[in-house]
Amino acid sequence: MFHKLIQTFDLLRPFPTAKAHCDVPCGIYDPITAQINALTVVRMMDLISGLSEGDEKNKTDFHNSITRYISVKEDHAEKAKHEIRVIWGDFIKDAHVEKYPELPGLVHKIMQLGSKCRQTASRENGLAFVEAINQFAEIFWAIKDKKIKKAKAPYAPGLEMVYPDL
Amino acid sequence: MLKIIKVTGNSLSPFFLPGDFVLVNTFYRQFKNLKKNDSVVFEHPEYGQLIKFIDKNYPDSEILKVTGSHKDSISSHKLGLIPYSALIGRVIFHIRQPRSV
Repeated sequence: MFHKLIQTFDLLRPFPTAKAHCDVPCGIYDPITAQINALTVVRMMDLISGLSEGDEKNKTDFHNSITRYISVKEDHAEKAKHEIRVIWGDFIKDAHVEKYPELPGLVHKIMQLGSKCRQTASRENGLAFVEAINQFAEIFWAIKDKKIKKAKAPYAPGLEMVYPDL
Repeated sequence: MLKIIKVTGNSLSPFFLPGDFVLVNTFYRQFKNLKKNDSVVFEHPEYGQLIKFIDKNYPDSEILKVTGSHKDSISSHKLGLIPYSALIGRVIFHIRQPRSV
């Protein structure tokens, strides 16, 4: 009866809708996407710094390049945060947090560092962002019972990264 | 403030069915008290306005982990965590359509 009444109102003037959307979970998780995004943030910081020290500051190309570097930095810092949130939200279970109690604090730290990387062009923040995500990767692979290896990324800025030793 | 919202999709079946309506409380301060199995409506940047159950509330970080009840509900892998700022509100009343027996 009440539903019928609301339905009549809905026909006359539709209410907003909320989807209880369906999909198929894929179950594929890997922190490498976040790690590469964080590495890109540092690379952009280096490019911004390099360009700012040059003599071309009044040229259009300078403004074009610096805008592009900042845009990519913003975008990749946010993408890295998103990737970590996805793993934290779907893959990490209560039992993992019990075993690695530092995880919630680490995820929160990554979120904050990601925001700092967007707010500033400080390489120090970028390095801390990469380091925190590497720590997250170490825990992730330990949960997956996979050994890890540390190696320098084979591209600029060539920072040390955590990889699964498969 | 209260809002009436119509449910579409099957991911919360058999609890919410397409065509049901929900009354939503949009008062922001209540979000810290949300608990597992409460249902919430929120805005997702990719999927639009969604209704889901809460799996876990992290009041200190002001984020929620949400879930569906159907096996093919969109995974929280794709949804990510939901910040309070994306919440439309908490479902406080469910207006069910007549269920066939």
